[in-house]
Amino acid sequence: MAALKTSAPPAAGGAPDRPRIVRKQTVSQRLRHDWPLLIMTLPALAQLSVFFYWPSSWNIIAFMDYSPYRPFWENPFVGFAWFGRLFSDPYFMPALVNTLQFALAQLALVFPLSIFLALVMHSVISTRVRSVFQSIVYLPYFFSWVLVVTVFIQMLGADGLVSNWMLGFGGDRLNVTADPDSFMFLAWMQWTWKDAGWGMIIFLAALSSINPSLYEAAAVDGASRWRRMWHITLPGIRPVIVLLLILQIGTILTVGFEQYQLQREAVGYQTTEVLDTFVYYRTILSSNGESLGTAAGLFKGIIGLLLVLAANHIAHRLGEQGIYQKS
Amino acid sequence: MATPSRRSPFRRRSLFKAAGLGAAGAAGLPMIAACSDIESGGGTSQTTEGFDFLPTYKEWPLPFEPDLVGEPPNHPSGFTSYPEPVQAVTDLPSGSGTYEITMPVWGTVPSADDPYYAGLHEAWGGTEINLRQADGNTYAETSAQWIQANEFGNGIYLFSWMLSSQSNFRETVVNSFYDLTDILKGDIADRWPLLAGRQTAAWGQSVWSTDPEDPESARIFGVPGSIWGGPGNGLLARTDLLEADGLAMPTSVEELLEVARTWSDDAAGRWAFLGLDYISPQWFNLASGDGWYWDEEQDKLIHNCERPEYTEWLEFRRTAWDEKLVHPDAPSGTLDGKELHKAGTILFQQDNMSWWQDYSTQAAGGQVEGAIAPVGALAANGRTPLVHVGTGVEGWLFLSKDLDQEQVEEILDVANWCSAPYGTKEYEMLWYGFEGEQFEYGEDGTPVHTEVGTEVVQAPVNFKTFSGQVQTFLTGAPDFVQAKFDYNASVKDYAEVNIWEGMRVEGPADFKTAGQTLIDQQDDIAYGRADLSAIPEMVETFLNNGGEAGREHYTAAYKALHG
Repeated sequence: MAALKTSAPPAAGGAPDRPRIVRKQTVSQRLRHDWPLLIMTLPALAQLSVFFYWPSSWNIIAFMDYSPYRPFWENPFVGFAWFGRLFSDPYFMPALVNTLQFALAQLALVFPLSIFLALVMHSVISTRVRSVFQSIVYLPYFFSWVLVVTVFIQMLGADGLVSNWMLGFGGDRLNVTADPDSFMFLAWMQWTWKDAGWGMIIFLAALSSINPSLYEAAAVDGASRWRRMWHITLPGIRPVIVLLLILQIGTILTVGFEQYQLQREAVGYQTTEVLDTFVYYRTILSSNGESLGTAAGLFKGIIGLLLVLAANHIAHRLGEQGIYQKS
Repeated sequence: MATPSRRSPFRRRSLFKAAGLGAAGAAGLPMIAACSDIESGGGTSQTTEGFDFLPTYKEWPLPFEPDLVGEPPNHPSGFTSYPEPVQAVTDLPSGSGTYEITMPVWGTVPSADDPYYAGLHEAWGGTEINLRQADGNTYAETSAQWIQANEFGNGIYLFSWMLSSQSNFRETVVNSFYDLTDILKGDIADRWPLLAGRQTAAWGQSVWSTDPEDPESARIFGVPGSIWGGPGNGLLARTDLLEADGLAMPTSVEELLEVARTWSDDAAGRWAFLGLDYISPQWFNLASGDGWYWDEEQDKLIHNCERPEYTEWLEFRRTAWDEKLVHPDAPSGTLDGKELHKAGTILFQQDNMSWWQDYSTQAAGGQVEGAIAPVGALAANGRTPLVHVGTGVEGWLFLSKDLDQEQVEEILDVANWCSAPYGTKEYEMLWYGFEGEQFEYGEDGTPVHTEVGTEVVQAPVNFKTFSGQVQTFLTGAPDFVQAKFDYNASVKDYAEVNIWEGMRVEGPADFKTAGQTLIDQQDDIAYGRADLSAIPEMVETFLNNGGEAGREHYTAAYKALHG
């Protein structure tokens, strides 16, 4: 069936142009036309199928009393029983609350800091100062969490450098790395040190795409440095900010694993348990089997999906492109 | 009629979508409602006695009698001399297969290409067995994943304490490992005389049922490790540091606290303790294992956390923390206690008893200073002490179900060779290596490891644990053997009675999970993160979330055992 489309409105006052007929291509025509492109997508499709879609299909065991030693079809369906067990687990609510707390704190404290660092870097004229600063701030991103946590324990632990200085001055030991009350502060310091530089790099890339002539024109018009940042820089990187914000909201319940797992013993589970460590301790290190952990993972995924959809919707309302748009 | 806007929910396409979702939901709900309950993870109990399919016991006569005769199992006999070893396996089998066995290791892993291993392969008949040695600190947890993925080579060694980390281990055993029953049943003394000389109890403890409801389905699935009686763990004190400060070895919990207070100096960076979690419950008469105690008066099983001694125990741990008698970074669980003990940063180290022998060996070689010895049986508030002791085989070698019978028999040839006791050539090769390479005879005739031997052979877990010995003894330097013999004699009367003798009980999943929560909460109290007043609430949480289900399961097992 052919679809009719007009390419332009009829010219006013004259005879209307003859409508141009765009005939919709059949599937076989499109295949003949696009086959090189389709072939190029095959590796990615195969990779996604093997490592994403096929494993994702195993989420069904969240609804089964699953045992790896039974043929798959002999595992009985138990409906939402694992979800019921999940929500009644005494570790679940602390894990969910902690996850949301850490996620919001990361969003509110680290995300803006990356933008701030990028703006500072962008304003530095000296290339040498900029490269040194960039290296110092960016380097910790490549450190493993084991190293980051070790450095903090060596520095701020009860038997660490600062504690021993304080003892030398007649004071008491510092207990930042084992105190549940100060863990959020500790975690913030660790995120800032490790991750803020990475965010900065992305925003710097966005900043480099702003046309310099806009700054020159604004400067000629007498705009101050602050005005230029407010009216040129920030609007220029706004799509990237929104995109990263939406992506971060989508993974809001994935706040990390190693950082919390490594400090769990020192600080206690009440403060450090997050959904990812919950799955590890309640599934892999316990006798609950795979189904409970899968239910927890599924719960996390559904919440993440809903948050992405909501954030994308809000972005569209605000006139931004978001991460996708309906065609 | 006006056309609905693109955003309207009344557009035809939106209505179709809503209808489709509704139909799917309506169809799915009855299916979900008709689902069954979760039945897995209910726990199992397995009798370990009274089987008629075990290897027929045939005594393997010891080549030498021990110098110190104890009362095994909790007071083992010992050798203070080193006899000229004899060959235990005279009719060597000829093997040509190559196998890989997964084993834990603590410390540095020796090179798999070391000539020592090639020497062993040749010595036991040619079969090449390569050890895939993995970090012992995480082995219990990660081994569960390897087994489920069938990625443990041709076999795996598991210590008995590692079973609690496995989810539904009975199901794992019968589905992943080779059923040895048909090979080992009856008289095996001709081919494997040393395996036939193993205690019947050791083989009985290597049995699992393929069907938990059917006792007749019991089968042998593992080659049992050695049975070591007596205390496996201890609180080991730096006796040289005690003497330097004029302090005596404590004989009660109250004295221990006083010694700790006197010796500890937070500002100077020295603390009496690093860990107290698994060694101190016995000082308050708390039960070992899963923590069940049979109360004769109430005629029921009582869990540790329900007893007043539990609160006393946590009060003790909290006191030690509050008074800065415990290393301030102890909660991190990342410190190397052995190194801190060697450095004199901590006075007492809770550890396996093998640390006593290791430290003594290193001190004799001039690698460390001072000396250590275990604190005797302790109790608080004038009670009679209780000492937790080893109650069964230390572990099992499980073989892959993918092997064929000839391959299994070839590996059992090696297991038979590795079961040779003290006083044999085989034992000497396993524990000391080859003369001139891994060890030299000392002046008193006792083998002493060379530097290479210390690196390659001295590790406590390798082919030494491949298969349990026919009989176990205290061995090593004569002074050490005498000291350990005397120590065992001093604590044997306080050994905990094993109320589960003759049965292996695996608790329900809920019970295990609730137990893990309880341990986390104990640590919160012990390290000042929660108040002692939280104990009643955490006990209630434990009982409601699996403790009561556990009591029901263990009571059924107890009644089946004791009537």
